[in-house]
Amino acid sequence: MIDGSHDCEDGTCITCGDVAVPLRVVSLDGERGLALCEDGAGRREAVEIALVAPVAPGEQLLVHAGTAIAKMDPKPRPGAPA
Amino acid sequence: MKYVEEFRDPALGRALSAQILSLVEPGRHYKLMEVCGGHTHTIYKYGIDDLLPENVELVHGPGCPVCVIPMGRVDDGIAIAGREGVTFACFGDMMRVPGSRGTLLEAKAAGADVRVVYSPLDALRLAKANPERDVVFFAIGFETTAPSTALTLKRARAEGVENFLCMCSHVTIVPPLRALLDSPGFELDGFVGPGHVATIVGLRPFEFVPAEYGRPFVASGFEPLDVLQSIEMILRQLAAGRAAVENQYTRVVPYEGNPAALRAIEEVFEPRPEFEWRGMGTIPESALRIAEEYAEFDAERRYPPPGERVADPRECQCGEVLKGAIKPWECRVFGTSCTPEHAIGACMVSPEGACAAYYNFGRLARRREPV
Repeated sequence: MIDGSHDCEDGTCITCGDVAVPLRVVSLDGERGLALCEDGAGRREAVEIALVAPVAPGEQLLVHAGTAIAKMDPKPRPGAPA
Repeated sequence: MKYVEEFRDPALGRALSAQILSLVEPGRHYKLMEVCGGHTHTIYKYGIDDLLPENVELVHGPGCPVCVIPMGRVDDGIAIAGREGVTFACFGDMMRVPGSRGTLLEAKAAGADVRVVYSPLDALRLAKANPERDVVFFAIGFETTAPSTALTLKRARAEGVENFLCMCSHVTIVPPLRALLDSPGFELDGFVGPGHVATIVGLRPFEFVPAEYGRPFVASGFEPLDVLQSIEMILRQLAAGRAAVENQYTRVVPYEGNPAALRAIEEVFEPRPEFEWRGMGTIPESALRIAEEYAEFDAERRYPPPGERVADPRECQCGEVLKGAIKPWECRVFGTSCTPEHAIGACMVSPEGACAAYYNFGRLARRREPV
């Protein structure tokens, strides 16, 4: 829903279509199976984590349409296959 | 931000550009297709095409989930949105895609209850907050998005939400790639592969590309260095006379994909016998519908839509753009009667659409200067 917490960034909606964004886990809501996550600009959203569980605060997740689809490799190496 | 800035480093970009230059044979033309609309957007936003030698051509594939939805399907959504007691929820891009009698945005203006959501989970929340209405989520997207819809339907069942429904228009990527490769006169040297789809399905489903068609396939990330490096990896294969599936996006793509996501898709959906793609015609087993086991969540069973096939507007050449046969600016209505504000074709509607990317980033009708 448009509630001011999401904005279209650079002309691309952050969860529309086939775009996925890296978000950092802030805290867990174990009862509902969700994680509160934050992007680089400090925007937060509740994320479905069933596909990547278990996760811990501080981990980076790749989030698409409100669902984490992968955990990010902790040591990305730009310039090498990454 | 971690995982973002380091993949936009200009010095590394220049180094990759130089490597690419060293790999191309003068006099040989290279035609590479980026499958995903997200890649198209990255290429034009960051001017990646300007970093490539003149003889490396990028063509834009059918991987924009909004662009491939045919007009008849939009009409179906509008028909369901107009039903008494229905709140219709969809991603923002879908709102402006024209059907034969207008868009969902126009249906909203005419009184239908149409809402923009950012995720299926948002649509489920909407259903829980409005128990007196049926909330119908227009589910679009490739295998990247299908697990999100599947998990939300499982959650709706677990939480006993009976007024949440789904109009499933999820599509799958392999059948249209095969259809493209089989189409007469289709020439291509390699694929910049859809990294986020591969995060879910893994790399195995793409092995047919080198095995049966002899073309390189490199699963690619979406930052500018990711795309440049994928192009470099494809050209390296071509220079060595090889064709293989390779993984540029190792920070998130495992070879086997995400098994939990594949199980969720398998549980909730089943293949449709066929599905119509905008501009590409009907492709067998190229889309998903809700499985019998989850029938009570299927909006098309509760509110059967007209399901009529509608031909694309005669002047629109989205189909040729989606197949990489023409550049967006070669379309007869590009930038004149078809603009992001008043789109005739879906490729101009979504920011991920090739036409919108060309229009928004100023590629209106020019050929590149050689590097």
